[in-house]
Amino acid sequence: MDTVLLQAIINGLLLGGVYAAYSAGFSLIFGVMGVVNLAHGELIMLGAFTSYWMFEYFGMDPYYSLPFAMVFLFAFGYLIQKYIINRVIEMPHIMSYILTFGIHLMVANIALKLWTHDFRSITTSYSGANAALLGLIIPYSRLVTFFLALLIISGLWFFLNRTETGRAIRATSLDKEVARLMGVNIREIYAITFGVGAAITGLAGASISSFEIISPEMGLQYTIIAFCVVVLGGMGYMPGALWGGMILGVAQSLAVTYLSAGISVAVTFLLLFVMLIVRPTGIVGKGLVA
Amino acid sequence: MKPRSGRLTFWICFIAASLAVSLIPFVATSEYLLRIITVTIFWIGMAGCWNIMSGYTGYIDFGPVVYFGIGSYATAIAMTKYGVPFFPAAVISAFSSALIAIPIGITTLRLRGAYFAIATFAFAETMKQIALEFDRTFGVSFFQGSHGITLPIGGHENTFFFYCFLSVTFAVILVHYGIEHSKFGYGLKAIHEAEASAEMAGVNTTGVKLRAYVTSAFFLGILGGIEAYWITYITPADVFNVHKTVQMVIMTLLGGMGTFLGPIVGASFLTILSEILGTAFVEYYLIMVGGIIIAIILIMPRGIVGTIKEWKGIRFL
Amino acid sequence: MAILECKSVCKNFGALAAVDLVSFSIKEREILGMIGPNGAGKTTLFNCMIGIYKPSKGKVFFNQADITGMKPHRICRLGLVKTSQIMEPFRSLTVFENVLVGALHGGQMSMADALVETEKVMEFVGLMEHRDKPSSSISVPARRRLELARALATGARLLLLDENMAGLNPYEIDEALELLRKIRESGKSLIVVEHIMRAVMGISDRIIVLNYGIKIAEGSPQEVVNDRQVVQAYLGEKKSSQLSA
Repeated sequence: MDTVLLQAIINGLLLGGVYAAYSAGFSLIFGVMGVVNLAHGELIMLGAFTSYWMFEYFGMDPYYSLPFAMVFLFAFGYLIQKYIINRVIEMPHIMSYILTFGIHLMVANIALKLWTHDFRSITTSYSGANAALLGLIIPYSRLVTFFLALLIISGLWFFLNRTETGRAIRATSLDKEVARLMGVNIREIYAITFGVGAAITGLAGASISSFEIISPEMGLQYTIIAFCVVVLGGMGYMPGALWGGMILGVAQSLAVTYLSAGISVAVTFLLLFVMLIVRPTGIVGKGLVA
Repeated sequence: MKPRSGRLTFWICFIAASLAVSLIPFVATSEYLLRIITVTIFWIGMAGCWNIMSGYTGYIDFGPVVYFGIGSYATAIAMTKYGVPFFPAAVISAFSSALIAIPIGITTLRLRGAYFAIATFAFAETMKQIALEFDRTFGVSFFQGSHGITLPIGGHENTFFFYCFLSVTFAVILVHYGIEHSKFGYGLKAIHEAEASAEMAGVNTTGVKLRAYVTSAFFLGILGGIEAYWITYITPADVFNVHKTVQMVIMTLLGGMGTFLGPIVGASFLTILSEILGTAFVEYYLIMVGGIIIAIILIMPRGIVGTIKEWKGIRFL
Repeated sequence: MAILECKSVCKNFGALAAVDLVSFSIKEREILGMIGPNGAGKTTLFNCMIGIYKPSKGKVFFNQADITGMKPHRICRLGLVKTSQIMEPFRSLTVFENVLVGALHGGQMSMADALVETEKVMEFVGLMEHRDKPSSSISVPARRRLELARALATGARLLLLDENMAGLNPYEIDEALELLRKIRESGKSLIVVEHIMRAVMGISDRIIVLNYGIKIAEGSPQEVVNDRQVVQAYLGEKKSSQLSA
């Protein structure tokens, strides 16, 4: 196979894995609570910045700061759900996404005020290092992040299927009323779910800090990507995040390689638009429709 | 029904206010003041367009700016490339936006809730990308990409634009009046409440939604055209900017979605507020907007006018 | 002449046949009762008739015209209307305005005509006292009457009533039955789905019985009550053999 094509596909898959990692949280939150979190990108941004500041002030390698990002974002997400979003949970869904949109504006712009427009990046000793395999270039940091992404998704699966709390979450998403009758504290579960979703998203954000450009405004494009990934894979269907991520990653990578960078953005939006019109339940058809 | 006299008083006040507003250019003490008022009127029109579609039906549109942008480009291209004078160009803008709105409306209005919101947003961003990349990709000279288009300067004063915007905004307000007392309006409100029941009660939900969507696009197109002529230079990043959508949403939300006075109250309040805060505080403005959105949803989801209507049991407004 | 005819209507959801080859018809000024255990497919059948679902097989004829799979609002305008099990008034509108929507859109009337028609229907149904109240604030019996009023205002010739008497006490049920008789007198037909046996038996000219999506019996109330399959469906195998023993 043509090396350029292969490289593009590899790039796309690596990218896709990362996309899947930070879209899984988005899918989780929607699947369980029906909340479309338009502030999702900000969770990634905060995760990335956690890494950045740990690096700046403590010289900590980005990969060591991952647990910090997780804890911090879990708390952040938990509190937001508990004290803000939970208040509209019984209302029509449009309320929740206008609300999260407001949160997006506030968080992004407060971050902008605190940290300015400047683009930042983390340069470590291994930043530019690549693995060379069969004439293909695979950056180490991207590779590690890819495996981390797989780890995150399996971890999430394990959490949801093998732990008590995870089961409570799944019960709630299947039938809220029955779960309530079984003694599940719905609001608490929602808060925990959002916390978990935020935590893995923050984790993903922190893990890309070693090779992505970090700025307070980076959030919105990631929200779009997350939306695209889960629509492709099926909203609320966790394994779908993996499919969706890969497909989008490869589509974008091919577009960048053979067309142009600008077109790749258009490709994302066009793909999203077409999917929503033609098959809102996702490629495999297991997604939930609002 | 409610006593006629209350409504009559309201209308006398409203007509008096409208007449007073139309005389502003003659009494305005400075060009700066005239500009502010023109901008306020512009935003009332914009918010009103969003209200017609999303306020009344509850279908939250996150991409209305696309029709504004299409209108801007239609006027710009008509005037620069084909030498069309301004007024016909504005008419072309209106119909360009409305015609594009038809297929987009038909496809997206089948979606519900957040899916509709994201689909409309995705379309708006796609159009922005098209305006940016089209020329380069196909080797033509049409949108001019990120270079933007410079419109001919017509030598009109602010007063001219004041009346242009005022006429369009006035038309938008008249549409609101039409909605409040008509079969179409009841159809919209029924859809907001219980779309399935509305359909079963004989409301052609697809047709009614589409009509609102296209009407909104029509006026957004004209507003885009006038704005392009006023500022004389447009780029895709400007005229397809999601920030404009945010403005329309927050203004209508604050004023009261699905009410007659809502856009007027919301747009006036926020335009004046952002003027007071000045350009140095743009970032604070957005933080505040975010905060206002959160506050409104949590405390006053019906907006200012909507909450007042509920307290006092008033039916119109 | 039948005003409505269902011919071998089937509706499948995946492997489940919710409605399986159901055929029946109803004449003008007739009240047809439809009974059956929960999940028998009554609401699904209604939804197939008014266009919410497209039947997987079979056809629906209204006034001899094929309406199978038409959009609900068009079927409504032709004169076939359903009331909901879950009442869904237009909450932000008053009671009067709720009915008005039916007259304007379902009845396709001008505003002037619609206002007059709404007054008439409200009077007929007995809702005038609630006229300007928010529709979410009225009592359950009033809300049920609102459902009926909205349906009547569309100019319906055949009304499908899906558990329109659920939540009513015996006195209210009698009032509701009176109203249904009044509606029939005025020239309409009704298909009534109810679980309250004395109500259905009392008002229906004929009854059809559904179970697991299949029509298992049809006839006068007397005939149906004594039908072995019907008893079996409701009370189970053991009971029905005890009864016939």
